[in-house]
Amino acid sequence: MAWHLDTEFTVGGGSPVRRYRFDNGLIVLAAQNRSAPIVAVQTWFRVGSRNETPGATGLAHLFEHLMFGATESRPAGEFDRVVERTGGESNAATWVDWTYYRLTVPARDLALALDLEHERMNRLALDPAAVEAERDVVTNERRERVEDDVDGWLDEQLMALAFNVHPYRWPTIGWMSDIRAVSLETIRDFYRTWYAPNNAILVVVGDFVDDELLQLINSRQGNLPASTLPMSVRATEPAQTEPRVTRASKPIATHRILLGYKAPSQHDPQWAHLEILATLLAGCPSARLHRRLVIETEIASSVDAQLTPFAEPSLLRISITCARGHDAAEVLSIVDEELQRLIDEPCTELELQKAKHLAETDFWSGIADIDGKAEALGHHETALGDFRSLAELADRLAQATPADIHRAAKEYFVLSGRSLVIADPDGHDDEDDEDDEDEAELA
Amino acid sequence: MSNIFVETAHDAPLVWFDITMYGGAAFDPAGIEGLHRHAGLWARRGAGSRDRQTLDEYLDQLGASLEVGVGRDSVTLSGVALTRTIDRVIDAASDILAAPRFDVAEHARLLRETPQLIDEVRDDDAALATRWFDYRCCPGHPYGRTALGTEASLRRITVDNAAAAWRGLVGVNNIVIGIAGDVDEARAHQLGQRVLARVPAGQKIGAPTDTWTRLPGLRTTIVDKPARTQAQIRIGHLTPSYSPEQAPAIAIAEAALGGMFSSRLMQEIRVKRGWSYGAGCGFRRSRISHWFEAWMATGIEVAVPAVKLTREILSDFAENGPTDEEIDLARAYLVGALPFQRATARQRMQLAVRDTVMSLPTNFAAHLSAAIGATSGAEVRQACREFLAPDDVATVVVTTGDSIEDTIGLGHVMRVEAPDY
Repeated sequence: MAWHLDTEFTVGGGSPVRRYRFDNGLIVLAAQNRSAPIVAVQTWFRVGSRNETPGATGLAHLFEHLMFGATESRPAGEFDRVVERTGGESNAATWVDWTYYRLTVPARDLALALDLEHERMNRLALDPAAVEAERDVVTNERRERVEDDVDGWLDEQLMALAFNVHPYRWPTIGWMSDIRAVSLETIRDFYRTWYAPNNAILVVVGDFVDDELLQLINSRQGNLPASTLPMSVRATEPAQTEPRVTRASKPIATHRILLGYKAPSQHDPQWAHLEILATLLAGCPSARLHRRLVIETEIASSVDAQLTPFAEPSLLRISITCARGHDAAEVLSIVDEELQRLIDEPCTELELQKAKHLAETDFWSGIADIDGKAEALGHHETALGDFRSLAELADRLAQATPADIHRAAKEYFVLSGRSLVIADPDGHDDEDDEDDEDEAELA
Repeated sequence: MSNIFVETAHDAPLVWFDITMYGGAAFDPAGIEGLHRHAGLWARRGAGSRDRQTLDEYLDQLGASLEVGVGRDSVTLSGVALTRTIDRVIDAASDILAAPRFDVAEHARLLRETPQLIDEVRDDDAALATRWFDYRCCPGHPYGRTALGTEASLRRITVDNAAAAWRGLVGVNNIVIGIAGDVDEARAHQLGQRVLARVPAGQKIGAPTDTWTRLPGLRTTIVDKPARTQAQIRIGHLTPSYSPEQAPAIAIAEAALGGMFSSRLMQEIRVKRGWSYGAGCGFRRSRISHWFEAWMATGIEVAVPAVKLTREILSDFAENGPTDEEIDLARAYLVGALPFQRATARQRMQLAVRDTVMSLPTNFAAHLSAAIGATSGAEVRQACREFLAPDDVATVVVTTGDSIEDTIGLGHVMRVEAPDY
């Protein structure tokens, strides 16, 4: 046998998830769900923007485009035509810790889906004309999502501000200058380095039988040679010792704010506690910041809080759109008050129960269809090393106490760990020469 | 006879429900755009014995969500709840339908909030392009009314007309209920009946009045925003409403033109030229005649060539239809895609509700696949001739206005500022 069953574990309801290991290093997660004659096939690679180098940012994301191109045996455009002919869907996503490719096809086309993934895992053509065409498409994607989108700009600026050393500091889509300049040889090297079975996790959820699935994989991905992967280089971000601020004018109607507080990796048990804090702050209609900023004072039109699920320490982010006639300083003073309240006194048991019930609904909603379940399993196996951490996270959320939440608030809501990005409407009163003074005040 | 659709699945301890009422933004009186959205959101802000804060806190404590969505043809109160709390969440939904508190302070607060959302639309180029396209495609058409409203129309919303709008929606004969998830069929019907027992009989709201004709010629609106690097483009025109029998041919034409990665627009605009990250199109399904609309976001330097090329493609489709190869691929795609659209109980429930609201035959979505499989190339080409009008299109381009100097070929050009609407 070229594979063996490594782990069997039930996540949520339904059939157990089985993890198989192939001799060439490929990992397969298989979870049967016979509720519809369809199957989700997702190939996750342990490569994201954190594996890039300065000057060649955006490479991992560029592959999200190139992987739909010609292979040694299929001409350009055939990948999409073949998938569409089944009625299936294909897409891909890239983030800091991973890249994944998803195919959802009728169950009868499982072998075809595995053929397609097998081919592009090691026989991508990467001819110059195709690379140049996708380079143009990616520059347009960047214009749409960053240059002409204030939320994309805020996001990019925050990561660049909060991280000085860690690769999380550059955007997943890459800097425009790098997208335009990266050479074909660098692109080919990146492919040869990272696209290999021993760097891949194949997640299959839906209507199939394990034995048949494993035989199909064994004659495809299971036959590919393992590669020598680079040694994992861990970058350690130095502790942030003072708050950071940047701001710029944008053609927008009102001020926008994006705050980031240094947060632990998703591996860390405290991550769950910060997830609860994000919910208590802005994760539901009765959340503290939503009530104060949007309903009671009406100085903001929206507020959101998100904890980034990264493999290494990242950020708890709070994004706010100011209401007309109100500015960042007013909003930040209330944010500070609410964070201080969480530092000064534990949340009540009732408030904690609310966050737990909302987390329970989110957990089940997230794995309610085969694509969502495959994505959740793939993320946890790829970024955190074990799909079972999905269930562990749910347990940590359920078991959290007010003291846990209080401890996390005191540890992470510290001013010296804060990074702040502000987008001001064009023509707002602050002149450039006043910005330094404003920033000092906001910091 | 009530309309309650149930789809059961026990793989997760969740229950989803949609309580849909006929009537929506298309029924906002001219000049009071935003009325139905305002009424729906206002009703959600306190009902029965609970004011807004208490209701929000109550639902959050249950781990549930309950939201009002306002479309052109309908208003929907959508909820999701853990199985163990579904009774309480359904009762809260019933309160919102039957016993909204209509707190005057919340009415005033909502009137202050909505202009901020209009700001957010203006800050988002894609949303702004759609807002302007709906406005310019066929001025005065019921579907051209913005669900959000305008600063001027919001000033005409009062406590009385908003409360009346909500009460006009809430009636047994005007409601379609869908329930899906971890609930047995009999129990789900009991929950649905519990909702209906709280509301008056009411009357079903018919389709909006459809007396508009397509405007002739080429009309281009350039919406000016400073410091853009791209142009968000919308191109389209009013089309007649199409019957269930015509739907398969329309669906194939739509997929071949702009509904797949292999579609003509995507291939010509993105793959061959790299002009846009995406390019697509859609024939809108509604209760009356609605738009055909194509969309893309190009670099400014190729915005005008992209508009012209899109019109050429539309002309070719209108005259010749898709090629046999395009029809074959689109047909296979749509037939194969059906299981994905009906894979979960929630999807099946939502399709059943949509089909009912659109007055489509029972199980229309389930039978569409076979109908598409039996549709001939000649029927697809006939649909293209009948429903595409490349010489009568409205184009909206959101970009930095002075970057578009050469407007030859764009027809009558109007330049406006983003905040004008």
